[in-house]
Amino acid sequence: MSFSAETASSETVIIHVGEALDFRNADEFKSTFQEHVDEGIRKFILDFSDTEVLDSTGLGSIFSLYRAVSPDDGKVAFADVSEPVQVVVQLTRTYKVFRQFPSVEAAREAFAE
Amino acid sequence: MDTFTKTYTDLDRAIDEVRSLSDNWPAACRNGEIDDETLHCTCLVLHEWIANLHQHAQFQSVSPAIQIHVTCQEAHVACSVLDNSDGFDLESYLPDEDDDPEAFPERGMGLRIIRTCTDELSYTSTDEGLHCFEFIIPSDHDPWLNTLF
Repeated sequence: MSFSAETASSETVIIHVGEALDFRNADEFKSTFQEHVDEGIRKFILDFSDTEVLDSTGLGSIFSLYRAVSPDDGKVAFADVSEPVQVVVQLTRTYKVFRQFPSVEAAREAFAE
Repeated sequence: MDTFTKTYTDLDRAIDEVRSLSDNWPAACRNGEIDDETLHCTCLVLHEWIANLHQHAQFQSVSPAIQIHVTCQEAHVACSVLDNSDGFDLESYLPDEDDDPEAFPERGMGLRIIRTCTDELSYTSTDEGLHCFEFIIPSDHDPWLNTLF
């Protein structure tokens, strides 16, 4: 499964995570974000509205994104987090690192400020 | 007490179906005796375990086969995953709770998540030469990992 990415601004890209981010497609997720990191993008919004599965390897690939952008004061935000993803967020306390927004639009507005 | 049992010979399919397992939950779960968070934790642990089998287990010359068994009771969900792999010593792979893991790890969080979500975790051989992963998730469990950051 490939990931759909959408340019929100010259600084921000939205990645629609889709149904699952797990050990089977984590490498594709990394290829998706790396392409934009190489182009200089440092702000990412992850749209979890349709996501039924986020496993440990999928979360690890998001950490990989965070490590890629954080040295340049980059940001990774979680938007429209589904219930199964929220369980992982709470369990791992990733809300301490990744700001959450109720919608992609809310994240986009916050990043534009 | 209410139970759910399903057998798979395709681990990819098992992983895909575990995510929608809640559609087939036993009546005790559907009637709200077990909260949604406990059910999502159960799906996550099952996913992590089957993913672990998919990636690392040795099945020698046999095709992989697993049987998932879920029982919902008033205060907990009890699960087992029976498999025909060669098995392994789970205890030797489980991270110590006192371990200080790498910050923002890319790998190795699966067993840590499983340990944190579950009670009475075990992986043992059966008399039939199979291996059985068993765990319980109490409905009042409040799991969290405070060691990743």
